[in-house]
Amino acid sequence: MKRSFVIILLVALAVTSIIPLVSAQDEVELRWRTRPDNQAEIDVYTSTSETIDAAWDGVTLKYEPGGSETASYQDVLVTEIEAGTAPDVFWIPGTDIARFAKAGLILNLADIAAADAEFNAEDFYAGPMGFLQTPIEGQDTALWGLPRDVSAFAIYYNADLFDEAGLDYPGMGDSWTWDDLSAAAEGVSELGGEIKGFAMNGWWANWGYWVNSAGSSFFNEDYTGCGLGNENTVAGLEAANNLFANGWAIPWGNDGEGPFLAGSVGMYVSGRWSTPGIIANADFNWNAAPLPEGPAGPSNWLFWGAYAVNAKTEHPEEAWQLITRLTSAEVQGEIASLGANIPSRQTEAAIDLFLGTLPDSGVNNQAFVDGAAVGVTEAPLFNGDWPAIDQTYGTEINKVFNGEITPQDFADNICGMVEQYFEAG
Amino acid sequence: MELSGRGIQLLRPPSAKRVHERIIMTTLVDKRTTGARAALPPVVLVNIIWNIFIVLGSLLLFSTVFQQSEDFFDLGRPVQVFAGLIALVPAALAVYSSIQLIQRKAGGRFSAMGMNYVIMVLAGFYLLHLWGVFIGMDNISSAILANYQWSLGLAVAYALYWLAGRLEEDTPMRMRLEQAAIGIGMISLILLLWFSNILGAASAILSTYGNAATWITTGVIIISGVLAYRMLKLGIYFNETPAQQSAWQGWLMLSPNIIGFMLFFAGPLLLSFYLSFTNDTVGNIPEFIGLQNYGEILSLQITTTSLETTAQAALAPNYTALGDITLGSSRIVIGARDPLFWQSLRNTIVFCLLLVPLSVIPAIILAMILNSKLPAMKFYRAVYFLPSVAAVVGTALIWRWLYDPTIGYINYIISQIVGFLNNTLGMSVTDPAILWLTDQGVVLFSIVLLAAWQVIGFNTVLFLAGLQGIPNTLYEAAYVDGANKWQEFRNVTLPMLAPTTLFVIITTVITGLQVFNEPYALISARPLPTAATTSVFYLYNRGFFRFEFGYASSVAWILFAIIFAITLVQFRFSRAKAYED
Repeated sequence: MKRSFVIILLVALAVTSIIPLVSAQDEVELRWRTRPDNQAEIDVYTSTSETIDAAWDGVTLKYEPGGSETASYQDVLVTEIEAGTAPDVFWIPGTDIARFAKAGLILNLADIAAADAEFNAEDFYAGPMGFLQTPIEGQDTALWGLPRDVSAFAIYYNADLFDEAGLDYPGMGDSWTWDDLSAAAEGVSELGGEIKGFAMNGWWANWGYWVNSAGSSFFNEDYTGCGLGNENTVAGLEAANNLFANGWAIPWGNDGEGPFLAGSVGMYVSGRWSTPGIIANADFNWNAAPLPEGPAGPSNWLFWGAYAVNAKTEHPEEAWQLITRLTSAEVQGEIASLGANIPSRQTEAAIDLFLGTLPDSGVNNQAFVDGAAVGVTEAPLFNGDWPAIDQTYGTEINKVFNGEITPQDFADNICGMVEQYFEAG
Repeated sequence: MELSGRGIQLLRPPSAKRVHERIIMTTLVDKRTTGARAALPPVVLVNIIWNIFIVLGSLLLFSTVFQQSEDFFDLGRPVQVFAGLIALVPAALAVYSSIQLIQRKAGGRFSAMGMNYVIMVLAGFYLLHLWGVFIGMDNISSAILANYQWSLGLAVAYALYWLAGRLEEDTPMRMRLEQAAIGIGMISLILLLWFSNILGAASAILSTYGNAATWITTGVIIISGVLAYRMLKLGIYFNETPAQQSAWQGWLMLSPNIIGFMLFFAGPLLLSFYLSFTNDTVGNIPEFIGLQNYGEILSLQITTTSLETTAQAALAPNYTALGDITLGSSRIVIGARDPLFWQSLRNTIVFCLLLVPLSVIPAIILAMILNSKLPAMKFYRAVYFLPSVAAVVGTALIWRWLYDPTIGYINYIISQIVGFLNNTLGMSVTDPAILWLTDQGVVLFSIVLLAAWQVIGFNTVLFLAGLQGIPNTLYEAAYVDGANKWQEFRNVTLPMLAPTTLFVIITTVITGLQVFNEPYALISARPLPTAATTSVFYLYNRGFFRFEFGYASSVAWILFAIIFAITLVQFRFSRAKAYED
């Protein structure tokens, strides 16, 4: 009896095992990965993957959310690329496109895209597409991927603190310039105690805004050298440093989000990605405003990341199909509905969709769209070693904001320090 | 006295099968010792035949390695040659084993046992891979976690069984409770597996048997496993001595660790050593460049110049000034080709110099307190040990919050104390408002504090064990001699703790030299401030951000040499001192 039961069980298992074996024949399996910011995004990406999979004959998709508390997205991806086990399609930040392309880690999709009648590069924001279509040595044309979404900075402000200080909300007065921001930061700081008027986090884009808005730039025009050795850099850094030196800002290098959420900061500069967290955690009245105008006019960053195809994929055609589907208007609409990022398709419909997100929070979505419109595109450096340059820029900027050197010292010496990291020509 | 069940079993006569085996073995051994030409036991013959297959498999593997292109999975020709040689090792071992077995030597048995055992384990791993267990691990854990409610039955079963154990033996109630516990446990397990889709998993595993590799691997596991076991039983035939038996038993016990070490530690270690002599970057085939990386990392230039000349101007073009010393009218300038390596090394050494006293001295004091007979000491022992077992990433985030200059508790408490001093005592103390994570002069100390807080608990446990090993008679003798508490501590406790202290200092220094998690998780700013960059963080940065795995490997090996040298010196010096004391 017992033996019969075991035999029946084994036969049943064997029969059921044949079903997936048969159905798996001729199926192309594509693994893809992107870096979600939270569980809600994981759920949307998972559902998106399942929807595309269901509508796509002959291809099975496997979505892998990347990164965890103990292993960063980037580290895991680099390790898998080195080991030859990376997914067919993966997302990487805009600044990484160049070094991945130069190292031969991602596929040049130009030829495949040229054969795709439905693809039109002009549907997407021009800045990221310009970089994604930059050929490297020995190539005439290139397409390194398609942008997943874009984002921009805004100033999140604590409306309660502004009310208490009797100040206009940022951007709501007659003008919104650096002087107005300094005055607001000072006014909020005067509330006393642990209250500070301003906060920004300690990475390149935060100080970069100040130099860009003063009319300077990280790089020269053709991105072959340093662009910071000028008086505009000094003006931008002095304006930012003024906030730290007067004690109106959270000291440089410290995380601004925690104190902002604790209700101790009047204005906090961050990207659209912070909005869901602030909605969930802030127990005070808040909203978002555009970044103030600098001497060179309004400025911001256009942050972006792209879906790229693993250079070692066995299915390049299908991988291209996947990234076009992942960046389609419908899928971008689903992702945008979470309110975390702006669709990378610069069409009126996509922007309207984004502007209609998170209506209950009352957040000023227009500030982000306006920011993206004037944003300096996050640049992958095809003629230099960005990590080394970032390290050098960052180390010297820390010295400026910690009072070890002056903005003038920085502008005088920085280009000489990074010269070695740019490639000739 | 009543004999236990186990004792009765020991007194039972051996089974007929066992007697039969012994007779065969004894006959074989007798024939062998009397010089008569006897046939080899069948299992030995089968093993020799199996060895032929191992040789063939090994040669096939060797040829497969060389059929790959020269880039060999982007690792290059040298790794391909090395892998080819490794592929031949089983063949060499199989030939050696066969010759020894034919000659009826113990070496043949041991090599056959070992080889079959290792083949079984490695093939087992490969089979799990073919079954998709490794990449399906997430699905398995998710499925079980999604149905966790059924595991509550296991807890109930355990509770019932525990309760039954409290009752008198052989009572009906105890038996019923035990049966109920087993029943609930079994049902819970079946339900847990059923709802976790055990049938689906089994079906997925069976579906892999459409692949010939799965069948072959399964066959290899069965054959090598059976042969390893049967060879193990041939001890009498090969005149196994008790020492030999102890030896293979010892190796067997160590084998999980040895196999794991070889696969996951020694292999990557060797590869990293090779890569340190190459220009390896992600996605490219490494090219051998000799000692170039080491030269770049270690190159220093020491030169003298006048006070009017800047330090940087005195150095060759590829060198960056690390520091300078003014001597009268001249200046000695030290420059490096890779200044960040030297700065990170300096940070690491300073980190260790601070970490050792901050984690050892409080640990001794805590251990003394916890060794006393005060109430609730067991509770406090657990409390102080908690930071050592808590995840660094989690604790670092809490510390980041504590260190926050605006809303952090540390600055808040300092402000309160300053306020108290100024307002109540009329002093005029300035609130330091310390920038724990951004001030270049403080940030390393902030990291040390976190690390010391984590290490203290572990060190305390070690000192506690050391204290409990000190004979009480020594304290009694000291008391009789009129020693006070301090003299007892100075002349009895400290000398007797010397070996423990040596161990604690060495492990703390090694931990300190490898510090990575604390700066990585504690400081959000990127790039990390130079003053907080430690050697391991630096090598991580070179590898993962700049893709220079060859260079990063060289940094790792230099760091290894430094740790090894420091530990060796410390060990020699401290051991001599410990025993002298």
